Amino acid sequence: MGILQKKICMIGDFSVGKTSLVAKFVRQTFSDKYLTTVGVKIDTKLLTLPNGNQMKFILWDIAGSESLTTTTASYLRGVAGFLLVVDGTRLPTWNSALNLREAVEKQLGNKPFVILLNKADLQDQWEMDEQVIEEKTKQGWKLLTTSAKSGMNVEEAFLELALLMT
Amino acid sequence: MTHIPASVVGYIQSMWMAEMILTYLHIDVQGRLIDWGGYPQHYGLTTLTKNKLIVEQVDFLDGFLDITHTEVLQYLNIGGNRCINVHIVPLDGSIYVLLFDVTDEHDKQQKMQQQVNELSILTYRQSQLLQELEATRKKLSEEKGQLEQAIKLKSDFIATLSHELRTPLTSIMGYTKLLDDAKQASDYETNYLDSVKKNANHLLSLIDNVLDQTKLEIGQIELHPNNCNVKQMLEDLKSLFLPIAQDKKLLFDIKIPNNLPAQLVIDELRFRQILINLITNGIKFTAKGFVELKITWQSNKLYFIVTDSGPGISSESQQKIFTAFHRESTANTLPGAGLGLAISYHLVELMGGQLSVESSPQFGSNFTGFISADSIQFTNTSNINHTNIKILLVDDSIDLRSLIELYLENEGYAVITASNGLEAVKLTLQTKPDIILMDMQMPVLDGYNAVQQLRAKKFNKPIIALSGSNIEHDRNYAFKVGCNEYMTKPVDPENLLNAISQIIQ
Repeated sequence: MGILQKKICMIGDFSVGKTSLVAKFVRQTFSDKYLTTVGVKIDTKLLTLPNGNQMKFILWDIAGSESLTTTTASYLRGVAGFLLVVDGTRLPTWNSALNLREAVEKQLGNKPFVILLNKADLQDQWEMDEQVIEEKTKQGWKLLTTSAKSGMNVEEAFLELALLMT
Repeated sequence: MTHIPASVVGYIQSMWMAEMILTYLHIDVQGRLIDWGGYPQHYGLTTLTKNKLIVEQVDFLDGFLDITHTEVLQYLNIGGNRCINVHIVPLDGSIYVLLFDVTDEHDKQQKMQQQVNELSILTYRQSQLLQELEATRKKLSEEKGQLEQAIKLKSDFIATLSHELRTPLTSIMGYTKLLDDAKQASDYETNYLDSVKKNANHLLSLIDNVLDQTKLEIGQIELHPNNCNVKQMLEDLKSLFLPIAQDKKLLFDIKIPNNLPAQLVIDELRFRQILINLITNGIKFTAKGFVELKITWQSNKLYFIVTDSGPGISSESQQKIFTAFHRESTANTLPGAGLGLAISYHLVELMGGQLSVESSPQFGSNFTGFISADSIQFTNTSNINHTNIKILLVDDSIDLRSLIELYLENEGYAVITASNGLEAVKLTLQTKPDIILMDMQMPVLDGYNAVQQLRAKKFNKPIIALSGSNIEHDRNYAFKVGCNEYMTKPVDPENLLNAISQIIQ
């Protein structure tokens, strides 16, 4: 039996840490310097699931945007699941994530997704409302607090999505 | 239009393909690679195999092989530093995938986008900071309001306390004076009376100092500059302090210059207070030798220096000497609350001057200062006959009423009395007095309301407020409701009679 291959998209507002999360996950690297993504960066990563099976992720790290543009929409073709990234220190990026999720659902139907509340290492600037997060969790959404800098929950986030797609 | 020969078109095509590093992949309907051309190795496609599924060879094409119309994927970074545009073109059941190198264009776009995004984040952080600043400002403003309210409550409390303490003290001092004036007491009774007077004076001075310090702290002291016969005031001080100094076998003198104008515009009460504080300290701390006050007047400034031959003050103590409640270690056995110099320092500043100290241990101290003091032309006033002048005296304290009535009747005034504001209003309308002495804190109707009612009823004769409150706010309010003069209890009989004479003039 061949290795299962899945196209995964990283979506969210600009500067929320999508590229950093991929870099940490794929190459175990992190840089504090912000470099905006234009277009899309494509990476691959072989993931071993808890049952021992392997899954190959084709990771599409899409340029940040608060809403779904025509260009962004074309990148989503054939996507199996997506990670919706939020900058926990900028509350407006949470609203962007909600808009994006709704637009993706409208275009592609229900696709597995996990919301990542990133930059957990910057707790002193944290702006997320715990009550809102609780509400979404109760609705059955998967939310994880992550830090590309410390590596907190990065592997777990991708694994969680993989499990949702199996 | 001139037709371009096929060979030239072919040349242009090959040049353009090389410039754009164009690569194409031709894929059949089953998704297998049929053929390719151009520069696939430039994009890392080094192991292309014909008749093999393309998605197993080119990852990013997964999901794009079922398209029905041309699809363009812009700016794909597929590894390395190169960036491509991918055109996927369905044609006759097969698919052509065209790859163009757009790295330079991507890099330019990235630079611009980077600036836009960084500016956006900066703006957001700034707006967050401004919100935080605004929240902090609001919080501080609320705290300031609470603090001001607390200060006001403290001030009100002190005003009430002052009234409660001063009113009985007025009676004690007044009746003590009457007993003393009677001169029928035995020696030991006189001693008892002296002790009562001394302690009452001390208590009054302590109350006044605490009040002054409180008012200075909250900026409530206002000066009342008036014409002052400074020479007379200094002579009075000399008479006051000479016996005290002599009791301690100290030499005491006040040096008054010949050029001192007959009258200067100063707040006499406050200047007197400053000098009394400084001289009292000089005499208190000097065991032997002298205490001297020297006055000079120049360029509308009144200079003063109090010199003593006391123990002196260390340079460390000089730093703290004008701080409230600071007491020298040598003063522990002596009376005082450590307020006199602090009050003097602030009063001198209020009067447009400065106060400083120079001292060396064992060599005594010099307290030097000045205040603003404009000179005026002396105007001679003649005494007027005040017999048959009708005075309405209003006070709820029967002791105080009897005492002041006695002073007034001794001067030949006709006195009518009332024990509250309501009674005062009725009596005024019935008897039409020439002047009213009005206590401000009374039951039934207080002095402020009584004065307001009288002024509303067109009573236009002078009204002197007699109040236990030394608070500036109360003084101002009394003037606002229609009083012509404001005197604080305990009222000195001479001052009261002078005030009545002046106001009648």
